[in-house]
Amino acid sequence: MVVSMSKRPVILDIDSLRVSLFTRRGVLPAVDGLSLTVAAGETVAIVGESGCGKSLTALAVMRLLPDPPARVVGGAVRFMGRDLAALSEREMQRVRGKDISMVFQDPMTSLNPVATVGDQLIEAIRWHDKVSRQEARTRAVELLRRVRIPDAERRLNDFPHQMSGGMSQRVMIAMAIACGPKLLIADEPTTALDVTIQAQILELMKELQANSGMGLIIITHDLGVVAETADRVVVMYAGRKVEDAPVEALFERPLHRYTRGLLGATPSANRRRGNRLAEIAGSVPALSELPRGCTFQNRCADASDRCRAEKPALTPLLPGRTAACFAAEEELSRHGIAVGP
Amino acid sequence: MRRIVLRRLAQIIPLVLAVIVLNFVLIHLAPGSLFDVMTSEQQITDPAMLDQLRHTYGVDQPTGVQLAKYIWSVMRLDLGFSYRQNAPVLDVIMDQLPATLILMLAAIAVALVIGMTAGVLASVRVNTIWDNLISLAAVFFFAAPSFWLGIMMVVLFSVKLGWFPVGGMRTIGVNNGVIGDALDVMHHLVLPATALGLFYAATYARVMRASMLEVFRLDFVRTARAKGLSRARVVLVHVMRNALLPIVTLLGLQLGTILGGSVVIESVFSWPGIGSLLFDSVMSRNFPMVLGVLVLGSLLVAVANAAVDLAYLRLDPRIRAR
Amino acid sequence: MLPRTIDFARRFARNRAAVVGLLLVILVIGIALAAPWIYPRNPLRIVGRPEIWPFVNSRFPLGTDSLGRDIAAMIAYGARTTLLIGLCASITATLIGITVGAAAAYFGGWIDEMLMRFTELFQTIPNLIFVLTIVAILGQKLEYVTIAVGVVTWTPIARLTRAEFLSLRDREFVQACRAMGMSNLRIMFGEILPNALPPVIVLSSLVIAGAVLFESAVSFLGLGDPNVSSWGRLIGDGRTLIRTSWYICAVPGLAIMLTVLALNLVGDGLNDALNPKLRDR
Repeated sequence: MVVSMSKRPVILDIDSLRVSLFTRRGVLPAVDGLSLTVAAGETVAIVGESGCGKSLTALAVMRLLPDPPARVVGGAVRFMGRDLAALSEREMQRVRGKDISMVFQDPMTSLNPVATVGDQLIEAIRWHDKVSRQEARTRAVELLRRVRIPDAERRLNDFPHQMSGGMSQRVMIAMAIACGPKLLIADEPTTALDVTIQAQILELMKELQANSGMGLIIITHDLGVVAETADRVVVMYAGRKVEDAPVEALFERPLHRYTRGLLGATPSANRRRGNRLAEIAGSVPALSELPRGCTFQNRCADASDRCRAEKPALTPLLPGRTAACFAAEEELSRHGIAVGP
Repeated sequence: MRRIVLRRLAQIIPLVLAVIVLNFVLIHLAPGSLFDVMTSEQQITDPAMLDQLRHTYGVDQPTGVQLAKYIWSVMRLDLGFSYRQNAPVLDVIMDQLPATLILMLAAIAVALVIGMTAGVLASVRVNTIWDNLISLAAVFFFAAPSFWLGIMMVVLFSVKLGWFPVGGMRTIGVNNGVIGDALDVMHHLVLPATALGLFYAATYARVMRASMLEVFRLDFVRTARAKGLSRARVVLVHVMRNALLPIVTLLGLQLGTILGGSVVIESVFSWPGIGSLLFDSVMSRNFPMVLGVLVLGSLLVAVANAAVDLAYLRLDPRIRAR
Repeated sequence: MLPRTIDFARRFARNRAAVVGLLLVILVIGIALAAPWIYPRNPLRIVGRPEIWPFVNSRFPLGTDSLGRDIAAMIAYGARTTLLIGLCASITATLIGITVGAAAAYFGGWIDEMLMRFTELFQTIPNLIFVLTIVAILGQKLEYVTIAVGVVTWTPIARLTRAEFLSLRDREFVQACRAMGMSNLRIMFGEILPNALPPVIVLSSLVIAGAVLFESAVSFLGLGDPNVSSWGRLIGDGRTLIRTSWYICAVPGLAIMLTVLALNLVGDGLNDALNPKLRDR
C-alpha cells in the first residue's frame, strides 16, 4: 500500500513550515518545522488535540492565516512544484477554490446566511470558470446531486438556515469540489455533526476522491475518522510533528508515547468510529512555556532525563515511518529491531 | 409574505389612534380652553368661523364625546380648517409634504452613501490613519447641530464660493422644462440634504465600522476567501450584505428624528416643506395646523417604519422564515 | 463597592478621548458656574459697538453681536442654560424611562405589551415636532422646554431598563427576596434597580448630549425662553448677518459642538469602562 502510494506524484510538499503567533506576550511558535507531503489520490490525516497547530497548518497552505496574530515565519509550501509563498495575492486567488479547496468545521456558520445556497455555489463556479449563469446553474445542480442532496433543483433556492448541518456540509463539499481541485483540505469536517451523519460525510468524501483522484488532507482529533479514511497519519503535538506513519502500521504499533496515549493502553485496540481521543493525564503545555527537551515530557510515563534535556528529532524508526521519541527508539533497539527506514 | 405585509400595516392603526388621543390630551393641557386660545390669539371674529370651530371641537359637550368626535373627524381626514391659508389643514399639509419628502429622502441617501462608504473604508483599513480620520470626523459630525452645520455650509459654499443657492427650492422666474426644473431642485437640495444627512452619516459610519468588523470574524467570510474570491468581492458582496442589517434597523428607529431634523433645516434654507409650515403655525399659534402636522408626521413615520421593517425582511432571510 | 469604583475609574482613565471629554465638560461647568462672577451684569445688555469681530477688541474677546452685546458673556451664560436644560431633561427622561422600563419588565404580560406599545408610540412621533407642539401649546418657558425634551428622549432608557430588569428578574437573589415575601415595589426599587442602574446611568449621560442638541434647535428657531441667554438662540439671532459677520453664528455653534462632543466622549468612556469585555474584543 505504502509503496504503491509513493509512486503517485506528490502534489503538496510542506517543508519545515513554521507559523508564529505574534501576541502581546511575545512570539509563540504555533507550528514548528512541520514537513509533510500529499500525493495525488492519497488521504493524509493530521491528528492532534486542539491548539496543536493542525488548523493553522491548513490555513497556512491556503495563505488564509488570520494576520494578526498568525504569520508564516519559515519553511516552504510547494503545490505541484510551485512555491505558494512566491505567488502574488492575485495568483493565489486562482489557486484557492480552483486547485486547492477547503471544507471547514462548522457548516452552519460557514455559509453566508443571507445568500441562497445556489448563489454561493454559482459564485464559486463562475469566479474560476467563465461560464454563463445558466450553465453555472446546471453545474450547481449537478454538484448537489453528486453530494447526494435530494431535490437538488429546488434546494438551490434555499437559504443556509433552511438546511440541516449535514446538508450544509454537503453544500460546503459541493462548493469545494466545484472546480475540480487537485487537493481538498477538510478541517474537522464532521466534528459539528451527528454521529450518523459523520459516517455519511466521510464516505462521500472518500467516494469523491476515488472518482477524481484528488489529494485529501483530513484534519481531525477523532481517531475513528482517521481509521476510516486515512492512508497516512501525521500526529502533531504542541506545534510539531511527532509521528508520521501509514494508518495500519500506526494503529498496530504506535511509536511515539503521545500517539500511544491517544490510542489508549492497548496499541492494537480495534478502533471504531466515534471513539474520540482517549484522555491523557495532564495538559498540553502553553506555547509560551514550552519546556526544554521533549514537549510531551510532563505527560509521559516513560520520560527520561534525556527527554527532559534534549529535543528528540524526527527519526526514521521503521520502514516508511518516522517518530520523534527517545523512548520509542530505545524500546525498538532493546527488542533488537534495527532502527532505520 | 402578503399576510406579513398586511399584519405589519395593521399595526399602524393603533399607533395613529394613540397619536390622535395624545393630540386631544395636548389640546386640553393648553392653559384656558383651546377655543379661547384660538379665538383670542388668532383674533377670529367671523361668527361663521367660530361656529365651525365650535362644531369641530365640540367644546360645549362632555370630554368623552369630544374625544369621540375628534377621533371621528380625524379618521375622516378632517384635520380642521386653517384660517391663515384659508384652506383645510389637510390640503395645506399635502401641498407642502412633497418638498419635505424630497428633503428627507435626499438626506437619508446622503447619510447612507457617505456613512456606509466611510464605515466600510474604516473597517477595511482598521487602525490606520484612514480609520482614525474617519472616526474623528464621525465624532465631530455626531456632535455638530445640523442647523449650525447648514449655516456654516451656506457661509462657505453659497456666500464665499457661490456654488450653491442660499435657500429656497427653485430659482424664481426660470422655466426650463421638467428636466431643467429637476436639476434646479437638485441644485437647491445639495446643501440642506448634506447638512441634515451628515449627522446620520456619522452614526452609520460608526455602526457600519463596528458591524463590518464583527462580520469579518464570522466563519463564512473565511469560506468566501477559501473559494478564491478577491478581498474586494468578499467585502462588497459577502461582508457588506450582512453588516448592512444593523444599519437598516437604525434607519427605521431614526425616521422620526430625521423628520424632526428636517423642520429645523427647512427653516435654515427656507425650504417650503411642512417644517416651514409647522414653524409658521407654531409662531402664529395656528393649533389645528400644528396638531395636523403632528398627526400626519406620525403617520408618515409609522408607514415608513413598516416599509423599513419589510425591507429588513427581504434582506434577512432568517427572519422571513419565522 | 469601593475597589470596584476605583477599578472603574482606572479603566475610564485609560481611555484618553474620554479623559479629554471629561476635562472639557468640567471646563464648561466651570464657565457656567463662574459666569455671574466674570460678568456680573446682565449678559443681554448692550455694551459696545455692534459687530466687532473676535480677537479684535480685548474687551470683547469673542466680539459683539448685531446689537453690540458681548458674545463672550452670552456664551458664558448660555452654558448655564444649556447644561441646566440638558441635565434636567436627562433626569426627566431617566425617571420616565426607568419607571416604564422597570414596570414593563417586572410585571410582564399585558402590562409589558401595553408599555412597550406606549414606548413605540413615542418613538414614532417625530420628536422635534412634538417638542415644538408642546412648547407652542404650553408656552415658551425654560421648564416647558425641559419637560418637552425629556418627554421625547426617554424611550431608549426605557428599553435598556427593561432589558436589564429582564436579565435580573430571574436571578437567585431576586427569587430569594420573593420567597421572603417582599413587596413588588421593594424588590423592584430596592433589589433590582441598584443592580440595573449603572448601564442606565451611562445611557442617561448620553441623553444629556442629545438634550443639549434639542434645546439648541428649539432656541435656534426662536421658541426657547426669550429671557435667558442661549447658544442656539445666539445662532438664530446671528443668521441674518452671515454675509458680513458669520462669526456670530460660528462661535456659539462651536460651543454647542464641543460640549456635545465632550459629553459623548464621556458617555462612550463610561460605557467602555462598564463593559471592558466589549472593548477588548
